[in-house]
Amino acid sequence: MTTGTHVIEVNGLTKRYRDVVAVDDVSFTIEKDTIYGLLGRNGAGKTTVMSILTAQNFATSGDVRVFGLPPYENAKVLSRMCFVRESQKYPDDALPKHAFATAKLFFPNWDDELAAQLIDDFQLPMKTRIKKMSRGQLSAVGVIIGIASRAEITFFDEPYLGLDAVARQVFYDRLLEDYVTHPRTIILSSHLIDEVSNLIERVLVIDHGRILIDEATDAIRDRAANIVGDVAAVDAFVAGREVIHRESLGRVASVTVLGHLTASDRAELASAGLDVTPVSLQQLIVRTTQRAASEAATAEEGALR
Amino acid sequence: MNRTVNVVRMQLINKQTFVWVPLLVLGASFAMSLAIYAILNSSGLPGPFYGGGSQAPLWVLLFVGISSLTLTFPFSQAMSVTRREFFLGTMLAAAMCAVLLAAVFAIGGLVEEATNGWGINGYFFALDWVVEDGALGAAFFYFVMAMLIFMLGFWSATVYKRFGALVLTLIWVGVGVLLLIAVWAITRFEVWPEVVTALVELGAVGLAAWGLALTVVLGAVSYLTLRRATP
Repeated sequence: MTTGTHVIEVNGLTKRYRDVVAVDDVSFTIEKDTIYGLLGRNGAGKTTVMSILTAQNFATSGDVRVFGLPPYENAKVLSRMCFVRESQKYPDDALPKHAFATAKLFFPNWDDELAAQLIDDFQLPMKTRIKKMSRGQLSAVGVIIGIASRAEITFFDEPYLGLDAVARQVFYDRLLEDYVTHPRTIILSSHLIDEVSNLIERVLVIDHGRILIDEATDAIRDRAANIVGDVAAVDAFVAGREVIHRESLGRVASVTVLGHLTASDRAELASAGLDVTPVSLQQLIVRTTQRAASEAATAEEGALR
Repeated sequence: MNRTVNVVRMQLINKQTFVWVPLLVLGASFAMSLAIYAILNSSGLPGPFYGGGSQAPLWVLLFVGISSLTLTFPFSQAMSVTRREFFLGTMLAAAMCAVLLAAVFAIGGLVEEATNGWGINGYFFALDWVVEDGALGAAFFYFVMAMLIFMLGFWSATVYKRFGALVLTLIWVGVGVLLLIAVWAITRFEVWPEVVTALVELGAVGLAAWGLALTVVLGAVSYLTLRRATP
């Protein structure tokens, strides 16, 4: 493992709150100038991981390095990162202009023009105090700080809460536009997996404080397929393969199998009259998470016996 | 260093909390004190009149200290500010606020003495005991009182942030019990006259010096608490 293109390195990171393990011995690296999706269920540990990476929270054990250095109390490292959390607090009297003017003071790459354009795009009311804003407007303030700060590593923790579909699309579009002209590392945590699936280049799936998937988005899409057709034919094809999901209706079955389909696989499918449909990122991640959960449950039962 | 100065600017976003409310309370309590002195004067009492109204703006700083942490610390974390930068910048902002108040009090005291208590022998700033060491002594006394009260608020808020309401309450109950024991001991051993004499001999500047020491200790404790606090 080299540090060449890694901006973040995490080794054996564990975070324990009394009797809850929020992050369980996690190791991963984050590459430079890449958009990551940090995906997982509520309480999976997403926010905790991002908080520890930005030194807002503390690890129980393990090692975190950002730009090769520990981030805690390190202004040189922190000033290159931006993390606006989902329920960010602002000073009591603050108007949006105060928040943006302060962000300009602390983020060296801050772009006023970009911020002004985003204010316009999100139709942010500039004369309303932030504490009086709606959920969506509050999210917009965070999103604008996150994009316009152009920090080398930017974390977005479920930035879309309260944003309607149009505003979310504005967020994805503007983020991608600015990313193309100003490449940087972006880590986006989200539940809306299919919505962000076109945006993210790599996927990190976290569940029960552990990393389940750490792969390029394209590789994941290629990792599984739905085989649809006559039950007997489907069963014959999937025999010996790793099945992660199965649905059937009458004589028709739809089975999700893991593994890349080779040319001979496809020929076999065609001759058996079976259809192949792509698995959406969301489906794949949901099923992988469910399978991991049931395996964990089985293992636990086994241990109890 | 630059980022620390920027924290001062971040704190001053709350101009209302940091500047206007203390000045408003100061103006209002000053006007009300003078009105009372004028009523007393017009009813033929010779004075001199003294009042405790000048304390009011100092106590406002308790809330300034609390809100400078509870609301601005989480924001400072989002601005990628280190805890050290946040602490130093906040202390600098508080010191600026305290210097402003101390200057108003010292100048007010000089004006009061020059005008013989606004012509009605009434004193708001120039309390005898405080101004006996001169205007600079009075300014030092008010500066320390302002910083100490701000720090009590800031320290309480750091404890609350890191350990929660229960621990904070227990600490304040503990402080109350200690004070009660002190009062009991002084009464039990009948040393009140000695205590009062010692305080008078200490004077405003001497007392302020002890206040400064307490402020520094509370500041150090707050910093250590803040170092492991999460937003």
